[in-house]
Amino acid sequence: MSHMTNPLATPDRLFQRRSFGALPLELQDTIFFATQCLTQAAGILLQLPQSVTAQANVLLARYWLVEPLMAHEFSDVSAATLYLTAKCSPHPRSPRDLSNVYAYLLSASSTFFSPPTAPNNNNNNNPSAYYVSETAYQAFHTRLLALEGRVLYALSFDTHVALPHPLAVTYLQALEFLHVPKETIGGKAVQYLNAALLSPQMLYLTSQPNTLAVAAIYNAARDVGAKMPECEWWEVFDVEREELGFLVVGMRSVEGWGRKLREDMKAMGVERGMIMRKHVEAELSRRGLGVRIGNKVDAEEEAARMMDEKMEAMEVAG
Amino acid sequence: MSILESREAGGAPSPRSFAIAHQRPKNSFLGCSRITDYEVLGKLGEGTFGEVHRARSKKTGALVALKKIIMHNEKDGFPITALREIKLLKLLSHKNILRLEDMAVEHPVRSSDKRKRPIMYMVTPYMDHDLSGLLDNPSVHFTEPQIKCYMLQLLEGLKYLHENHILHRDMKAANLLINNKGILQIADFGLARHYEGEVPKPGRGGGEGRRDYTSLVVTRWYRPPELLMHLKRYTTAIDMWGVGCVFGEMLTGKPILAGDSDLHQLEIIFDLCGTPTDENMPGWRSLPGAETLQPRPRPGNLAQRFREYGSGAVSLLRELLKLDWRSRVNAIDALQHPYFRTAPYPAKPSDLPSFEESHELDRRKFHDRRAALPPAPKGGTVGRGPHDGPNASFGNDSFSGRNGVNGSRYPRNSRGPEERLPAWHRDRGLPPRPPPPADSDHGDGYRDSRGGRPRGGGGVRQDVDTYIPSYDRDAPPRRDDRPRRRDDRDDRRPDWDRRRDYDDHGRNSRTRSRSRSPIRDRDRERDRDRERDRDVYRR
Repeated sequence: MSHMTNPLATPDRLFQRRSFGALPLELQDTIFFATQCLTQAAGILLQLPQSVTAQANVLLARYWLVEPLMAHEFSDVSAATLYLTAKCSPHPRSPRDLSNVYAYLLSASSTFFSPPTAPNNNNNNNPSAYYVSETAYQAFHTRLLALEGRVLYALSFDTHVALPHPLAVTYLQALEFLHVPKETIGGKAVQYLNAALLSPQMLYLTSQPNTLAVAAIYNAARDVGAKMPECEWWEVFDVEREELGFLVVGMRSVEGWGRKLREDMKAMGVERGMIMRKHVEAELSRRGLGVRIGNKVDAEEEAARMMDEKMEAMEVAG
Repeated sequence: MSILESREAGGAPSPRSFAIAHQRPKNSFLGCSRITDYEVLGKLGEGTFGEVHRARSKKTGALVALKKIIMHNEKDGFPITALREIKLLKLLSHKNILRLEDMAVEHPVRSSDKRKRPIMYMVTPYMDHDLSGLLDNPSVHFTEPQIKCYMLQLLEGLKYLHENHILHRDMKAANLLINNKGILQIADFGLARHYEGEVPKPGRGGGEGRRDYTSLVVTRWYRPPELLMHLKRYTTAIDMWGVGCVFGEMLTGKPILAGDSDLHQLEIIFDLCGTPTDENMPGWRSLPGAETLQPRPRPGNLAQRFREYGSGAVSLLRELLKLDWRSRVNAIDALQHPYFRTAPYPAKPSDLPSFEESHELDRRKFHDRRAALPPAPKGGTVGRGPHDGPNASFGNDSFSGRNGVNGSRYPRNSRGPEERLPAWHRDRGLPPRPPPPADSDHGDGYRDSRGGRPRGGGGVRQDVDTYIPSYDRDAPPRRDDRPRRRDDRDDRRPDWDRRRDYDDHGRNSRTRSRSRSPIRDRDRERDRDRERDRDVYRR
């Protein structure tokens, strides 16, 4: 039984992805980070437990290891993985709910990546901005199901994700919570685990849940100043020092990454809200990289343009 | 094809060059195989998801079964039952559990095809028989060592499932596959789910349930009394009852508890095991389905009925068919039962005879017209009771006009082998109804819109048939209006029986339609219209 473990990405695979992807690295990272954040936001609005949303995050990361980032709209991939994960969980959500939530998150009124407290936020909640017309819903629905199949196919139907969160709690119990209040250290550890989901280093694809759990506990203990056992206690949980060190650094760097990536998005002209394919394409041509990807982008653009036109025509007709 | 070519071209390639030639391209990892990686050899049968084909892998040369996943309900995307089955099978690895080897995808031939969704197949090893088909084969007689051997394998597989927190929830002979090497494997996890209670402990029976699940599971003939009385907080013991039924079926050669309705099922269970009392089934009175029950007290005739098979068999059967789900034996303890330690001892799988008759598919199909059950693997039979009255009536109403084959004038028993009833109806009749989620107890809001109607149209009746989740909503309760003719009744032949029920039904619907509730019919008509409207709208 492989309840406790996950399929991991091979170094080969990761290298391929990073080095031969069509996009510059920092753009890959930005897209990854923003889409994972979008999934989390949608999970909250859909009232899904974090255990479900976190699994969707992991599936999304696995999917993008295999399929090119630019093949589909990022928000659609996020919706499809979330839909699929929720469907397999005890908390299924309807395509209609997803359509509403994503329409809101992508609208100008959404507070996604644009908190009301931020400067120059005009702060108008305009419900008509995220009204979902029947045609828009049908289009979303079609894309959702097509992508669901795509994701399943790419993952070879392996939708199982083992999360480290329950392990972290068990380990903390074994460590008697390092003699600090349970909520403090437990909460902190879970925060690290959740943040790690967003990391463009794809920590959930390189480490098994037990390692992630130990690293999160280590970081949490350091943050709250708890006294850890003198010995090499991580070995009890089958974690090696080297991997632990790597993960500890990886987890601690997520916050910095996040800030930098937000800045990058702003620099690309995405002041607020979700980054879209069109932003990435614009950025590429601004950098003069559009040529390098050549026909592919053009073909995609062409297809997207045609779809947009068709959609508009349909909306006018309807 | 490709494998043949490469052999011809390279003569006898060294293992290394063969491996290099056949490795996955590094930069094009593909999750699933393509259907062209398999050479399809013919149809084996039809399950809930769709047809099952026999095929040969072009990569390994192994015989496999391809189970087609039909998209029942495009509205919700990939069917959850299939997803759940795949997910579970991928987690499992045991010699007595059918292995999911691969997923294969078939793309439409023309990409311009309107219905351009690809078709998915589950790839499992090919098994020669299913137990139900094997028992139907008149030339096959199980010896005691053979039964013991199969029972041990069944219990091993179930023990593995239960200790890994999995409820099978559709234990029955048709879901047990057997190959000619004597290996038995549990198949069809379409109704299986994760079990959240404590796993069985030696000497502690099934234990206590921890949470509620839907009681609309398990094919009726194999459904334990607690499910028939709608216990929701059930345990792994529900699968053990099924093992008992299968055991009895192996001993006698036919299903031992073939009830016509849920109420009748309970009656014959009481005939066999005795009436429930506070001693033999504590708490049974408080079960929701037991409120209206007034069983005539009787002791149960299990010992007499199975006397000829020896005291060991009777004792094991008694343990497996205990009314009290808390003390019903679990798989761990059943494996230790003295029955397996007394002569004649269990055979080794490798010593078992191989059954030519059963695996010669075509011969069976055309020469033994009664053996309409397909041999293994029948694949999913989830969602149907063995009687399938509801399905039959569903199909009957809808397309007998279109297809003359279906009228009751069509002679019984001579229907072609391809035309197994339930799936047959579903395939060519109206668009099939999607099975409701097996665990509707989760309150998954949006699906409820379909399931909201009263089941079975029976409304007030306590004894309304529940069958199994799927296609039963429109079922008229059949037990009352169907003339019972003892003379030609033959419990041995579930399939044949099913067909007869169905034929009866066809007759009823014409000549005795008064006896059925007209309101219900109208409702059904309306529902169907609504369904159709929705479909039209969707397109």
